[in-house]
Amino acid sequence: MTKSSANILIVDDDVDFLLWAKCVLEGAGYGVRTCADPTEALARLEENLPDLVITDLMMSALDSGFTLARSIKDMTSAKHLPVILVTAAAAQRGFDFRPHTDEDLAAMNTDAFLSKPLDPQQLLGEVHRLLASQDASPQGHGTPTKPRENAE
Amino acid sequence: MSEEVTRVLVVDDEEGMRQGCRKILTPEGFIVEDAPDGVAGLELFQSRNDFAMALVDLNMPRMGGMELIEKLRALDKDVVILVITAYATIETAVEATHRGAYAYIPKPFTPDELLLPVRNGIEHRALTIEARRLREEKENRLLEVAVERSRCNTIISCMTDGVLVVNRDRQVVLRNAAIMSTMPSCAQQPLSSPVSDIGCTMLAELIEQALSADSGPVIESKEITVDKQTFLASASPVFEPDATLVGAVAVLRDITALKKLDTTKSMFVSMVAHELKSPLAAVANYLQLILNGLVEGDPDKQRHMLTRSLLRISALRELIEELLDLQAIKAGKFALRRSPVNISEVVKNSLDTNREKAEQKKIALNLSIAPGTEDTRVLADPDSLLIIFGNLINNAVKYSHSDGHVDLHVAQNDVFVHVTVKDDGIGMAEDELEHAFDEFYRAKNQHTVEIPGSGLGLSLVKRLVETHQGHVAAVSVPDRGTTFTVSLPIAD
Repeated sequence: MTKSSANILIVDDDVDFLLWAKCVLEGAGYGVRTCADPTEALARLEENLPDLVITDLMMSALDSGFTLARSIKDMTSAKHLPVILVTAAAAQRGFDFRPHTDEDLAAMNTDAFLSKPLDPQQLLGEVHRLLASQDASPQGHGTPTKPRENAE
Repeated sequence: MSEEVTRVLVVDDEEGMRQGCRKILTPEGFIVEDAPDGVAGLELFQSRNDFAMALVDLNMPRMGGMELIEKLRALDKDVVILVITAYATIETAVEATHRGAYAYIPKPFTPDELLLPVRNGIEHRALTIEARRLREEKENRLLEVAVERSRCNTIISCMTDGVLVVNRDRQVVLRNAAIMSTMPSCAQQPLSSPVSDIGCTMLAELIEQALSADSGPVIESKEITVDKQTFLASASPVFEPDATLVGAVAVLRDITALKKLDTTKSMFVSMVAHELKSPLAAVANYLQLILNGLVEGDPDKQRHMLTRSLLRISALRELIEELLDLQAIKAGKFALRRSPVNISEVVKNSLDTNREKAEQKKIALNLSIAPGTEDTRVLADPDSLLIIFGNLINNAVKYSHSDGHVDLHVAQNDVFVHVTVKDDGIGMAEDELEHAFDEFYRAKNQHTVEIPGSGLGLSLVKRLVETHQGHVAAVSVPDRGTTFTVSLPIAD
């Protein structure tokens, strides 16, 4: 029972990712807003709350995505929002900070972590899944299975 | 007898006595010379200075025996002086001995009565000299040992690596200046306090390992961290020649700076990987979208996505070139072949290369050369200059609005030629300008999001200009434009 009318905010300094993700998500019936600057994204979030946030990791700072995700979880009005972190920085060898457990995800204040380039089905799948679990708890405080809830 | 020739001086105012001594001593292998009084005797002694013995009469004209004894003794502390006199009393004997005489022979004497004290005296002299030689040798050796020891101490204290020595009871018995300054906790403890009191468990463990080694010079080596510092530490046991363990010596090298460099390098590699993967991800995403038919009904969008893909690919190619240039500069392989280059010509060439790009954006490129600067040359690598000005002009065009202006100006003073590249584009805020020359830094705002760039161009420019003993500066006002000035020393 996914609401295809859900609104999604995408934050990335790569305009091409914004355009691509917008196409994919709009094609699936979602309402999409895009923003290239994480600080601006936070302001927009406050004036008009989306149902889900997708953010890049390395923007103006190396950890802009982490900072944004934490800020969202710190906002009383937005703390229930599912956040998907996407990055081209994740590596399978060497510098690896990909989350391996639910605790890792919770520590990142994130509900899903995806590596670029993304597969459209993979992105849509995650969005569906997170919005569906959001629906299961209409009060907007997440489900007990959410990793971040475990951490709190 | 220690010397082959033993020279004896006889000083007596009696001719008979002088002859008598000569007759007794010469057959025994002595070389005898004589003088009739103290003054003549002293002169003779001084003229040769190699007498082993002097036989001195006490009562003589001009200079008496007592005075002569004193003077001879002052001249030569080893000469054996025998007093020969007819007025023998205990008092004169004592006085003569006080003044430095070895023995006292009353006149008249038999040959044996003379020879015995003479032989004894010569023997005594040889022993004295030998004893002194041994004593001096010993002192020299002690001095050598002391010098060697202080040399070792100096070397250890001057070493840039920290040195710490503990005895078998784990007490610190030696530490040098380097370890005291790099590991303050070590300096805070007095000598002979237990090594565990230094408060570095890893170091104590390392020393323990070395001490528990059974035999031979085993060296344990590992990285240890103290506060924010990292050391490469090695410890080895110290054995006596008979293989008894007496302690352990630890050597610590401060590798904090190297670790930092290592981290910087890892960061750089991660940044490069991210910058390489991002455009590939964008292109892959677009192609996938088009192939899957998701934008089939929208040819404009398709076209836009393909154009963006091409743009990202060409930016990627540029990044790779810049990375290779950066690597070459870091390895010092750039600007090796320098020759006098006409700077105005190079600027003109760089401008022509970028003309097409500028025309597409309807940007006016303009070059002015100050009078007298047309033939100015700089000692430079022409390829480096093309990269420097190519980058600056490319940037000026990239960050300018359509219908903008990019003005280049070449001028000089006595020492430097200045090339300014001025645009009336988007400009930079103060905090952006501050980082403009940093590797991988890109100003991020609504104007720059659509402009692909690696953030390497300006760092390349700076490195190259500085390789040529020049400098580069930037002035910028947001929405008004940026001016870069490259100054290079004029070739003689």
